[in-house]
Amino acid sequence: MHIAEGFLPPAHAIAWSVASAPFVVQGVRSLTREVREHPESTLLLGASGAFTFVLSALKIPSVTGSCSHPTGTGLGAILFRPPIMAVLGTITLLFQALLLAHGGLTTLGANVFSLAVVGPWAGYGTYRLLKRYEVPLMVAVFCGAFVADLSTYCVTSVQLALAFPDPGTGFLGALAKFGSIFAVTQIPLAVSEGLLTVLVMRLLKQSSKGELVRLGVLSKRKQQQSATEVGTGAGA
Amino acid sequence: MLPIDAAAHSSCWRRRHPLDKAVLGLGLTVLAVSLPPWPGAALVLVAALVLLLGPARVPARKLWRAYRIPLGFCVTGALSLLVQVGGPEGLLSLADDGPVRAGELLLRTSAASLGVLLLAFTTPMSDLLPRLVRAGVPAPVVDVALVTYRMSFLLLDSMSRVRQAQAARLGHSTRAATWRSLAGLGATAFVRAFDRASRLQAGLAGRGYDGTLHVLVPDVRVSRRFVAASLALLLGLTALTLVLERLLP
Repeated sequence: MHIAEGFLPPAHAIAWSVASAPFVVQGVRSLTREVREHPESTLLLGASGAFTFVLSALKIPSVTGSCSHPTGTGLGAILFRPPIMAVLGTITLLFQALLLAHGGLTTLGANVFSLAVVGPWAGYGTYRLLKRYEVPLMVAVFCGAFVADLSTYCVTSVQLALAFPDPGTGFLGALAKFGSIFAVTQIPLAVSEGLLTVLVMRLLKQSSKGELVRLGVLSKRKQQQSATEVGTGAGA
Repeated sequence: MLPIDAAAHSSCWRRRHPLDKAVLGLGLTVLAVSLPPWPGAALVLVAALVLLLGPARVPARKLWRAYRIPLGFCVTGALSLLVQVGGPEGLLSLADDGPVRAGELLLRTSAASLGVLLLAFTTPMSDLLPRLVRAGVPAPVVDVALVTYRMSFLLLDSMSRVRQAQAARLGHSTRAATWRSLAGLGATAFVRAFDRASRLQAGLAGRGYDGTLHVLVPDVRVSRRFVAASLALLLGLTALTLVLERLLP
């Protein structure tokens, strides 16, 4: 979910833009370095951005019977790494604001912070941590996508609670109010996004193994192992 | 093509420089956010609506279709301000100043959204993006954004056709089938995006691609008269707000 245009007071909008800026600048630097070293990366990164944009347009069924769309930040961070996702996420959010009237330009900083910074980093951190402990890939992918989705909404709740504190109980009351509204809808959605991400990753392992190795999601050793297994199986 | 971008390509302000429209549209948005909601945001809302439906000639139906999306979020968000947590009246009770805060928020977000829609409905992204280099955005980022923009439409088109094909094969008949179809859709988007990128790379390599995408940008100049009129309108709205704020209750 994106915070709509004009929803945040000016001071909050500026503060969240300042908070997002270092992450986006770091992403821009790594993207610029990548493009200078490998000019062909421009097209692959553009394709990755388009994939992120399209992914966020997919409608997923929610447990409550309604539909919503995935944030795509978990899958994006696992495939392209969080610094690149900060830039791709910013581009996607800009497109959503101008092409779909979804989100906004004054709230771009706040939306970038939740969707393109915290979501990808939290999801990627969870994924890497589980991979370090040799948890099966699909379990790590599910947890990464689940945490990325949920952390995005937690940050959005904090942003809204800071902007609109409860008249009686202040920030904590507002956080409980926004958090409970999101918890009802977003926990089932985070589970849905986790499941969808696992299904997508399973299909990608079958159809685009080479790309996953190039992106560093699968190691070359594992690809060779599975190729040998396939070869042995075919020979038998 | 997405409806807002399609409308922008056929806008009567299409040949105006994006800076002209950015000064007006984003200026209205900044005013909506920074002026007092009553009467400031209300005045901005009226001004933006008149500009959109009048000189910019945006069809009312298209505008409503785009506007109802942020409006829905604004209404939902404003409703949460009507209640307060805790207090002597129980866990949840009506906030004393809730309706006023909700009304102000609604005015501010509605007016700010119309300001951005004025820019979006009159300026195609293909006109805006290449000019961001002059605004200080690094060229590689703009190039990636340009490829993303152009590839997004192709992918959305592909996805729409894949979804139709899945539906024709009863791919959405049960919950399990829906999940399988969605996963297939996501994976297909990835495969097609990378396939297109590699084909584009091969095509560009054959044309001497050096890492920079050269695109033809329409040669239009910033209209000093238009910018001056926009600034005058913004100043007028600010002054009127300050005057009315003292006169109105």
